Parts: sequence; C-alpha cells; structure tokens
Amino acid sequence: MADPDRQTRVDVADVAALIERTCADLAMSEEPSNFAATLENDGVADGGVS
Amino acid sequence: MSDWTLVSLAEAIRTKAVSPVEATRTYLDRIGRYDGAIRSFITVDADGALSAARALEADAAAGRWRGPLHGVPLAYKDLCHVHGLPTSCGTRTAEYFTSEHECTIVTRLRAAGAITLGKLNMTELALGPFGDNAHHGDVQNPWRRGHVSGGSSSGSGAAVAAGFAAGAIGSDTGGSIRLPSAACGIVGLKPTYGRVSRGGAMALSWSLDHLGPMTRTVRDAALMLGVIAGHDPRDGTTSRRAVVDYTAGLDDGIAGLRVGVPDNYYFGGVTADVETAVREAARTIESLGASLRPLRLPDPAILHGIGNVIARAESAVIHERLARERPHELQPVVRARLEVGFHISAHDYLQAMRLRARLTRQFIDDVFTDVDLVLTPTIPEPAPALDATKAGPVDEFVRRMGRFSRLTRPFNVLGLPALSVPCGFSVDGRPVGLQIAGRPFAEATVFRVGHAYERATDWHTRRPSLE
Repeated sequence: MADPDRQTRVDVADVAALIERTCADLAMSEEPSNFAATLENDGVADGGVS
Repeated sequence: MSDWTLVSLAEAIRTKAVSPVEATRTYLDRIGRYDGAIRSFITVDADGALSAARALEADAAAGRWRGPLHGVPLAYKDLCHVHGLPTSCGTRTAEYFTSEHECTIVTRLRAAGAITLGKLNMTELALGPFGDNAHHGDVQNPWRRGHVSGGSSSGSGAAVAAGFAAGAIGSDTGGSIRLPSAACGIVGLKPTYGRVSRGGAMALSWSLDHLGPMTRTVRDAALMLGVIAGHDPRDGTTSRRAVVDYTAGLDDGIAGLRVGVPDNYYFGGVTADVETAVREAARTIESLGASLRPLRLPDPAILHGIGNVIARAESAVIHERLARERPHELQPVVRARLEVGFHISAHDYLQAMRLRARLTRQFIDDVFTDVDLVLTPTIPEPAPALDATKAGPVDEFVRRMGRFSRLTRPFNVLGLPALSVPCGFSVDGRPVGLQIAGRPFAEATVFRVGHAYERATDWHTRRPSLE
C-alpha cells in the first residue's frame, strides 16, 4: 500500500520546485503585500467600465 | 410562489402583495416537504425566522422599511456565525466555530431587512468541490439526484436552485461559490478579494477566502452585493473603496465591451456539452454588441501550484487543533488535504505569496490591456455522480477534486471578480455554467454582461422538479 505521507511529501515537493523555478528572478522589493496593492491600484475607479 | 426571485419577492412585499410571514411560511413549508431528500440545510430556524417575519410585517404595516431586503428570507452557509444558531462548518461538532461577533455579512443583510431561515450544508471545513458530507449527508443536486451539487457551498447552491431560500451566502477559496452555482444552475459571485468582509465566518485560507451571494438572477446578486460589500473594521483585508449601486447600470447594455475567450487551457479537457454551451453563450454575448476576441492566457499550472501551497499552509494552521487532536473525526479526504499543510515550509509559503503578487500584476497588464472581461466555462463537466467522485483511494479523490475546480481556482489566486451564470444544460438535463471574470473591483461590469446574457436567454427561469 502506498504511503500517503510519502506521497504527500512528493506532491508538496513537486509544487515547491515549480514555484521555486518561477521565483528565480524575484527582486527583493517583491513582497507579498504587493498583491493587495495591485488590486487597489489597478481596480476600476467606479466599479464599472464605461 | 416558489418561482420568486429575490428582487421580485422584495417588490411583492413592498407592494403588500405578499407578507413577510407568508413568504417565510412558504419557504419553510417547501423546506419541510422536499429538503429531506436534498439535504441542503443543517439547521432550520423556523421559530426565529417566523418571529423575525412577524416583526418585519408589523414594521411594514407601520411604514417602517428597514431596507431593500425587507422581509426576504435568506440562508447562510454553515460557516457564517449567526447569533443563537450553531456553526458546524460541516464537521460533526455542532458548534465547531464560534465568534464574539456575528458574521458581518449576516448583520448587514439583517439590517437591510432580511430574514434568516437557517444554516446551509457544506463540504466539511469547506475543503472540497463536490458537496459530499458524511456527517450531514451528501447534498443532492436538485436537477439530478445522486449527482453532486458542487461545493463547498453545496447547500447554498441546492437551496437556491430548489426554491428553499430567496438567496444565500457562500464562501469561495478555490471555486466554492461558482462550482455549486454552475452545477445547480444558479448565479454565484466570487467578488474581488477584499470587496466583502470575511468577519465572523470560519476561515479556510485567509489569503484566498471570499464570501459572496448565490441567487437565481444576476440582479439579485447585484442587490445582495450592494448590501454586504464594503470596509469592515473587523476584517483588515477589506477595501475602503466606496460601494456602488451594482443594480444601477445593469440595463445599460454591453455594446463595445471587449470580451476575451481563451484559446488555450480553459477549454482543454472539458466535455463536449460544456464547450458547446459556453461557446454558444459567447456568441450570444457577441450578438448583444460586445466585441469578442480570442485570448491567450498564461498557463494556470503555476497559479494552481501557488493556490495549493497557500491554501494548504493556511488551512493547516487554522484547523491545526482538530487535525492534530481529533483527526479521526474528519472525513479521510478532508484529513488528507489538511495534513498536506504541515509539510509546507515557511520559505515555500512566502515564495508562493511573493509570486502571487507578481503574477497578478502580470495577468492584469497582459490580459486587461486587450480585453475588459474573460469568459470561460465554470465547471469542466456537468455535475458528476456522487458515487463516482468518491470511488477509489483518497489520493485519486483529491486529484479528481483538483480537476473539477481547475477553471475557477486561478481567479482566487488572482483575487479577481468572477461570476458564474447558467448557460445551458447537458443532454441529460444537468446545468452548465459560464464564468465571467473582470478587472479588480469591476463587479458592476461583470454583472452587466451577466445580466445582458440572462435577458437574452431563459436558463435562469428553468426550475428543477423536486417531486
């Protein structure tokens, strides 16, 4: 029977590797809070597109 | 009477064609008659609902109108804390979640005059897209028994579709409003992250959770959003942006709107009836004046990965006590999904959060330069059979979950508003959903397209037979 914990660790490692490859060139200034700032700054002004 | 929309019922109450007590009794009678087979409710508060209805009826007679939802019966996913009612979050613990403060959304809806019918069934801890629940019963799709209602806001989807409530609230971490909305043939909105407070509701993932309306029509959802949206000092992630009247511009038409239909990833692996229905919906939207264009979207695989890391890490922290002290109380697949989070490092979690910020910036820059909205299917297949979803080992069940929610999850990671509207049926009568996604805080535009499409079709008028 497969070891679910082992499979879990493999799955997590696969995802982590994918993220790490994509993160390779993240600048020091790229921080998590940029997400909320992007939504606020790029949001539509009046809630709609004219 | 079971054919009411939220707006039509509110109008009928305002004109005194029907009273709050009559409306409430109608829904309670219907729940009593049919919900034993559907299993959409965990708690029905008949006494509380009728007491509130009588008070609202007296207010109406005296000319005191509380708001746009005066006398309208609603129901809430059982992770919304409501004073005086237990909040199980779909677990076997009746009061799994408690809070000093009531769910902000519920308080705002009550202040607008809404009546609480009760608390709705859900996937345990909101961890699953099918609506199965070993503790409270699998929610049955009202259109086809033995098939999933979609989840995790399973009871919300089924209750609205079956006419057990005029509207409902659901939560959406990876699709849990939109998936049951599509599977049950109703409207569901995942708003922009931060548009609606999560205060007083059980969290699954602080960074990915969204609460929103589930209704019969787009206008109903727009009305509800106007009531529930806005800054909440109890939820620091809520935006201070002003809340607009989302119903105001619904009938303005969609001429000139640029609508993108992806020619990569989002139609891959969907069933023929889903693709046919969604592409036909896109053509209808084009016929209404929108400019349709093909679109190449970024590969969602990295968004899926980011979402998994963030959601699993946060949910493991939130529900750690249950997972570590009483794991035997959890359904095996829920336990498996929770336990993954204990293996995620702080480094990987933080990298995922940083990458999320970058990819959101890139998506907005790359996609919304060329289009105003994106259309995709909501679900890749019509509601599958419950037995089929649960068959096999746990890891296969988990993979099946991932496949079913793959079209909705990217928009949780991106925080963008995404609406599901009914757009047809499979050949054997199971609903199909169209997902409409927009720029941050563009709910008004998303609603305008959904409403225009709804007016040009009749899917939203169809009702399942519960006999």
